Amino acid sequence: MQLLVQVIFVLIAAEIVGAAVMVVTAKNIVHAALWLIASFCGVGALYLLLEAEFLAVVQVLVYVGAISILMLFAIMLTRHVTGKGAETSLYQRWWVGLIVAAVLFAAVIAPTVLAHPWETATAAPALPGETGQPAAMAGIVDLGRAFVEEYLLPFEIAAVLLLVGLVGAIVIAFEERAARRHIPTLAEEVAHRRQPE
Amino acid sequence: MIDSVPLEWVLLVAAALFCVGLYGALARRNAIGILMGVELMLNSVNINLVAFWRYLEPHQVTGLVFAIFIITVAAVEAAVGLAMIIAIYRSWQTVNVDAVDSMKG
Amino acid sequence: MYEVIDHVLNVQMGLGVPGWVIHLVRHVTVAGILLVIAPLQMLLLTYLERRIIARMQDRVGPNRVGPEGLFQPVADGIKMFTKEDIVPTASDRWVHLLAPCVVVAPVFLMVSVVPWGPELVPIDMNLGLLFFFAVSSVSGAGLLMAGWGSNNKFSLLGGMRAAAQMVAYEIPAVLSILAIVIVTGTLSLVKILNVQGGLFTSLNDVSSVPNLGLGWFVFTPVGFLAFLCFFISALAEGERTPFDIPEADSEIVAGYMTEYSGMKFGLFYLAQYVLNFLLCAITAILFFGGWQGPGVEWLHSRGVTASPDGSVVFTILANVLGLAYFLAKTYFFFFVMVWLRGAFPRLRIDQLLDFCWKFLIPLTLVNVVSATLWAIAIQWGSPQGLAFLEGMGEWARWGMAFALTLVINAAAYIGLVRVNETSGNQTTVAEDRQDRSMKTATLS
Repeated sequence: MQLLVQVIFVLIAAEIVGAAVMVVTAKNIVHAALWLIASFCGVGALYLLLEAEFLAVVQVLVYVGAISILMLFAIMLTRHVTGKGAETSLYQRWWVGLIVAAVLFAAVIAPTVLAHPWETATAAPALPGETGQPAAMAGIVDLGRAFVEEYLLPFEIAAVLLLVGLVGAIVIAFEERAARRHIPTLAEEVAHRRQPE
Repeated sequence: MIDSVPLEWVLLVAAALFCVGLYGALARRNAIGILMGVELMLNSVNINLVAFWRYLEPHQVTGLVFAIFIITVAAVEAAVGLAMIIAIYRSWQTVNVDAVDSMKG
Repeated sequence: MYEVIDHVLNVQMGLGVPGWVIHLVRHVTVAGILLVIAPLQMLLLTYLERRIIARMQDRVGPNRVGPEGLFQPVADGIKMFTKEDIVPTASDRWVHLLAPCVVVAPVFLMVSVVPWGPELVPIDMNLGLLFFFAVSSVSGAGLLMAGWGSNNKFSLLGGMRAAAQMVAYEIPAVLSILAIVIVTGTLSLVKILNVQGGLFTSLNDVSSVPNLGLGWFVFTPVGFLAFLCFFISALAEGERTPFDIPEADSEIVAGYMTEYSGMKFGLFYLAQYVLNFLLCAITAILFFGGWQGPGVEWLHSRGVTASPDGSVVFTILANVLGLAYFLAKTYFFFFVMVWLRGAFPRLRIDQLLDFCWKFLIPLTLVNVVSATLWAIAIQWGSPQGLAFLEGMGEWARWGMAFALTLVINAAAYIGLVRVNETSGNQTTVAEDRQDRSMKTATLS
């Protein structure tokens, strides 16, 4: 059983990181967005493995169902013609970014993570062995209570932030009707061409 | 999960995801590509929070609460960021961030 | 289910298999059954739709293959299987190939949480309702993939319309089910169904009522308004006729499906009909009691699962009766969908989004407030500092909640209709004027 979980974990991890690498290296920005969806789904699966079901469902609902689709929309609204213009390019000094990221991982994060003595042992007594379900793991009900009791103010602020984001996005992306380029309908074009004769 | 996969593995996956996202945010010229890199980084932070919650304090809800706040902020950021990108595209006809440079000295 | 498989494998066949094998067998069996049932529903629904719409349009419809044309969908299926699979040269091959799978897979995941009867529950998930809607939102990505990967203007337009519509109408759909979640206090579909016993009032509200399986949420003002909003949103999510602009054949050929042929086209069709079936089913479950109906509870309480000395016959009867109620309600809603297709013309995309943002979303938000008041009036008491509520009888509390929410919802509905009428007229007149002046400016 342990081996099975380990294999599943490695598969999910490979999927997440592999898809993420494709996101940042894909030539075509639409492909990058599709790989991003794959990566998000992998993260959702990892949440399931970590027994955070609610967060897994929220991950699918928000990231896959909303943010990714929003990104695909934005890509399709900001291209010149189909095919061309979807190509993306990197900075000339892209290797600087690569070095920064690689050094951050290899020299800072990985040694810290491996060297730090994590106190996971404290959680062990609460989880009685092979019987499966831990006694009192925080569930969705506790989460809901936390939002209306302990974290009420942050919760309200997050709600206001969402509202501000909604209004802001509309205001920024809104195009005045008068400023919009008028595309004549077929009937208008016909009428227009007939006029000079 | 927690008795078969050590916490370090999960943290390393999150770290790798963070660094990949960082590279994407640094190296891409396309503004939407940069936004994708940022989203990957936020996701890696979320993995960390959930992993800490599950391994260190499964009885507290703090980790989950923060993860949900991050998801909220990521959603707002994506919405406003993409709206800005569309507005920029409308006046510049490009989404490459180095082409939008009318404010340089 | 677990015990049955355990009995068959370990006692009758004497294999002595461990517990996880039994679980595996159980889940694989359930998944297999669902994977067979869902396409069968699609076959039946296509046949029904064609026959009903033909009747409404004064035609006969398919009546040649089999009795009354009942095997027509099978013939269609064979035709689709044997058709050539054409992939456009300019298309993005992998995206084009994966898009139908991404559209179909979520729909089949959604099937897994729908309860068909008192015991016929594939998975009793704690978060069933949320899972249902989370997974349904994934198929929007598949629609965009299909639209973009085909490299065709019509496909792209159709895909973008479909995704915009799905994302926009998800909000009123989720807000209207949120009202039900607030009233019941659970996200599990099984628990939501169990509450809907009773007669006119659900078991949650008045416990003394006889349990006839008729305490559907549609009988409350909150549930009724939520039902209307949800069903309209379901029409938009399932791309049914007043909102079928993504595949408006008179404008953009077949939308995102334009460049698909053979079985890939068949998969889109399958996804669409199974989705319609599921949306009808979830409407029946949330607002019309699903398998609840007169007699089911009586039979079930005498069955083997409810009491130790019950008999298997009663359990089976209860499930069959529940399944019959559930399917009858579901097919009725599908009939309403077809009926609407026969009755209404197609909307424009701006009308569609206007209707969503200016009418449905405010209405569902008000409904969420009423649902909160309902929950307060029914469930709160001295712990929340409302001790006077406990002094009232159950019926008095129910009556108070009913009257209060009825007034709020009716006022919100009437107010919104008036606001939309007046503001709608003004803007259209102003826009027309602006449009006309702009046209003359650009054309001259």
